[in-house]
Amino acid sequence: MAICTESLQHPEAPAARKMARRYELHGPVQGVGFRPFVYRLANTLNLWGHVWNADGRVFIEVEGSIDALQAFAHRLTAEAPTPTQPTIAAIQAIPPTHAPNFTIQPSPTNARLSAAHRFPLDQAMCDACLNEMNNPENRRHGYAFTHCNACGPRYSIMTGLPYDRERTTLAAFPMCAECAAEYGDPANRRFHAQGIGCPSCGPQIHYRSTSGDTIRNPQAALIAALDCLRDGGIVAVRGVGGYHLMADATQDQAVATLRARKRRPDKPLAVMVPWHGKDGLDAVHELAELTECEAEALCRPERPIVLLRSKAKQQASHRLSAQIAPGLHEVGLILPYAPIHHLMLSALDRPLIATSGNISGEPIIINPEDAEAQLAEIADGFLHHDRRIVHPLEDGIYRRIAGRMRPIRLGRGATPLIFDLPQTIETPLLAVGAEQRNTTSLAWRDQLLLSPQLGDLSGFAAQQRFIQQTTELPASVAISARRVCHDRHPDYASTRWAKASGLKCRAVAHHHAHASALCAEKGLVDTDTLIFTWDGTGLGSDDTLWGGETFYGRPGAWRRVASFAPFLMPGGDAAIRSPWRLAQSLAWACGLPWRATTATNEERQLLQTMLERGLNSPPTSSVGRLFDAAAALLRLVENSTHESQAPSRLESVATEATTDSKLYRSEARNAGEMLPVDLPIEQDSDDLLRVDWRPLIRMMTDETRTVAERAADFHHALAHLIHKQVRLLRQTRPIEAVGLCGGVFQNRLLTETAVTLLAADGIEVLLPERLPANDAAISFGQIIEGLVPETNPGRRIL
Amino acid sequence: MAHGNGGRRMRELIQSLFLRHLGNPWLTPLTDAAILPHRLPPDHDLAFASDGVTVQPLFFPGGDIGSLAVHGTVNDLAVSGATPLYLSINAFLEEGLPIEQLDRIVGSLATAARANNVHIVAGDTKVLPQGLCDGVYLGVSGIGVRPRGLLLGAERIHAGDAILVSGPVGDHGIAVLLAREAFGLSGSLASDSASVLPLTQSILDLPGLRLMRDPTRGGLATVLHEIAEATGQGIQLDEGQIPIRPAVRSACDMLGYDPLFMACEGRVVAVVSIHDVDDVLRRWRALPQGQEASRIGVVVPDHDQIVVRNAWGGKRVLQPLENDPLPRIC
Ligand SMILES: [Fe+3]
Ligand SMILES: [Mg+2]
Ligand SMILES: [Zn+2]
Ligand SMILES: [Zn+2]
Repeated sequence: MAICTESLQHPEAPAARKMARRYELHGPVQGVGFRPFVYRLANTLNLWGHVWNADGRVFIEVEGSIDALQAFAHRLTAEAPTPTQPTIAAIQAIPPTHAPNFTIQPSPTNARLSAAHRFPLDQAMCDACLNEMNNPENRRHGYAFTHCNACGPRYSIMTGLPYDRERTTLAAFPMCAECAAEYGDPANRRFHAQGIGCPSCGPQIHYRSTSGDTIRNPQAALIAALDCLRDGGIVAVRGVGGYHLMADATQDQAVATLRARKRRPDKPLAVMVPWHGKDGLDAVHELAELTECEAEALCRPERPIVLLRSKAKQQASHRLSAQIAPGLHEVGLILPYAPIHHLMLSALDRPLIATSGNISGEPIIINPEDAEAQLAEIADGFLHHDRRIVHPLEDGIYRRIAGRMRPIRLGRGATPLIFDLPQTIETPLLAVGAEQRNTTSLAWRDQLLLSPQLGDLSGFAAQQRFIQQTTELPASVAISARRVCHDRHPDYASTRWAKASGLKCRAVAHHHAHASALCAEKGLVDTDTLIFTWDGTGLGSDDTLWGGETFYGRPGAWRRVASFAPFLMPGGDAAIRSPWRLAQSLAWACGLPWRATTATNEERQLLQTMLERGLNSPPTSSVGRLFDAAAALLRLVENSTHESQAPSRLESVATEATTDSKLYRSEARNAGEMLPVDLPIEQDSDDLLRVDWRPLIRMMTDETRTVAERAADFHHALAHLIHKQVRLLRQTRPIEAVGLCGGVFQNRLLTETAVTLLAADGIEVLLPERLPANDAAISFGQIIEGLVPETNPGRRIL
Repeated sequence: MAHGNGGRRMRELIQSLFLRHLGNPWLTPLTDAAILPHRLPPDHDLAFASDGVTVQPLFFPGGDIGSLAVHGTVNDLAVSGATPLYLSINAFLEEGLPIEQLDRIVGSLATAARANNVHIVAGDTKVLPQGLCDGVYLGVSGIGVRPRGLLLGAERIHAGDAILVSGPVGDHGIAVLLAREAFGLSGSLASDSASVLPLTQSILDLPGLRLMRDPTRGGLATVLHEIAEATGQGIQLDEGQIPIRPAVRSACDMLGYDPLFMACEGRVVAVVSIHDVDDVLRRWRALPQGQEASRIGVVVPDHDQIVVRNAWGGKRVLQPLENDPLPRIC
């Protein structure tokens, strides 16, 4: 930025100054108009001094009357623009400096000071900007890049730190005289808004149809895109963090076309809902049940996708196609966040599919050239814009579990995420995460930075992005790591990268990372805790495939106290893509006559031989795989086309049963009417409790019961198993809190049932809230494990 | 078969068995060294290759350890651009191997050698105690001649060069696996074990021929990784162009294996200048073994990995693998 502002002279004479204070504030206070807010507040209260950013913090020195200073201290946090939520880290009395006015000081740009700078996060369009855009009198009427210093793109357009216009992709758009005046006027809400622009100087949209014509006129471009959508077409829309593929969510044919072209037959699609009513939520209410915390999440400046329970009877005007989320009781809804979304949805007045613009399994596309090349056979038109995207960001996803909103994916507006470490570490530490939902974390001094999430690193493009991100992250804060933590799995792309990096490597068992991530999030690194890590498959410290583990201990010192009896996965990854193989393996292990319907006799015979000979049939203790098998045993999903298909479907079916019948109500349980299947637990030779899953498999194949009942009972049996394990383990060690993490605990029915049972015993349940329960948290957990030798275990990490 | 140590009659039996099948002017006198007439064609160099052959089961659909041993060394010489002339065979026999099996194996060795016009001119047999060599191990060495001035090597490969394969991949690996594990469905699957000499000889004169390899252990993927490592350049494969028999594909799907990692014993991978691609394909396709020859990919300069592009444009990285892959999906 390198600016120093002109400022207003206070009417009051310097004689009225009584004292001076110095404030240090923490929180996400960059690029959110916080300094201009401080400036206006100081002027309102007749205070002198200055505000500046340094080292990722905001410092304020103010002088004036006692009353004014007290009001300032209060209003500083009470009236701060969302989502800054600043915390006052220090207040100090200082001698008055007799400054002539109140000024905003330039940001220091030298490397040492910028090292800890907060990354400003992208924010949804604010109400004031929306009103301007909708106002025919305003010069930004209909302008798709209407932003102010309280809203708009940030990290997505940032080319360097600190966040200032010259280090954003808007540097390519010199301001016109009017915008420059707004930018320089401390009283204007676009005072130093780095995203400022207008129709005469800023970025613009344009439309390209598959016939190759480009429509440059913004109004005509928008109309062409809307016409295409009305006709059931698919439009690739460049937004904040990348492209969306959009289509009319009310037209079955449009949804079917998108599914066929994207080769995504079953995976649920996110839906963007028009902004209606005072709080913008009227149209959402028509489509889904909404609790208060879900409504709050939908409206956050972060503007994520929220998984909501679909309304059975939707109003005809906004009825979603049944193909949006086939077989599921929930639908992912999101409100418009970029101005272009508001323009499109208010004109069409109907919900639109808004799914990531990519080839299935690949990262989100950010450039027009890539979009036209890679989405040529999917999209009927391209609504581009000419503001370059630097950092790809997908929409975040949240789900309400046990009364709180929990991230399933952290994305735009939430990443990169910064944690404060309580103490300084000596050598910067990098952690490169898992293979899927890959994130990179960097810890240096007293900071931890977590990258946005990538998809599956087996893809070439994802790997390229991983390498770029893992290189850029330390460079962006002028840090070079000398140590790297990676997953124990030798074939993960991230592990290979770490081993070839020349950095000092430390391998972390997958589930130890899961457990440590949860502990660190909850600040529990100094007491022993019991943590259930239930997920898919990851490599354990004994080099077998874990996924149903219970640990007791603390980061760096985990003891595996319980697990599941191992079962075989014939075909390895192939068994995960075809859950019938797991089901067949488990059924045979119980001596049951169950037969997969989708398999031929020959395939079953081959499977049997594989199991007998142990050919490519690794043993695992994974609960995620039990969920896969259960969905196949009920013939809900014998072959899956996307990874969470089997467990999602199972949970949906079970949830309907739980809601529809009294069978699973707590009164019924208390009355002993419904006893869930009991799973025996036995101590094996290594002093490890092993759960016998066979009664579960027998129950699942009991065709005298309905599919829904069995699905519900499956969840309840596992929840009761958690309860039973805790009671058993509590006999020999103190347990006050129990953590539940790993992808399996994204299952609401299981998690909430377990929480209810444990709470009845007075046990506090720890669930991930800042980070997802899934593998996106692995890099964070790896850092925490990697810190252990350097950290005094008596201190809290977070 | 009885223990071999000092068993004079057994030695005689084995010698007569080998001689009966392989008898030729150089081998028959049982001298300590074969004295070969020095008749190198002018402007040729000697090529010398060596291979150890083990396989279970010893007899499998499409071949046996005997023919496999001959093809292995013939093919190593052939892909180097040489014409094989002489082989030596060392046989390590496990005590208890039925004599009829040995007879079949040696007979198969002889047939394969004759078919490729190579002579087995030296050899030795050892009988090892039970449990030491899994029936039979064969050590094979071969000498051939190669036109002087023939330039083949990774250093000749440039970005833009095409990757060609002479036929469907994975047949040998999956056929042997299914035969070994006694699966009931090896019926439609047979090893591709064969000499690739006709294929390699047919394209040796093309100036744009950079390198040939036979994708044996570790399959096509492993050979491509070796090429990428030697050149420092990447390879992009077009998944739809890689010939794989449907039976091989479905067996691999069931077993959870990638056919690109399954061994071939009768295929050639060639790296060829873009200008000679059509000639290679035309000549290969004219041969019975090369009818399904295909251009499968291209050498690319922007990375050093093997990347497989699928029909809808997705690209996955083919990581090098040594053992059974551990599941990566969490
Ligand atoms: Fe995991
Ligand atoms: Mg060889
Ligand atoms: Zn705004
Ligand atoms: Zn302007």
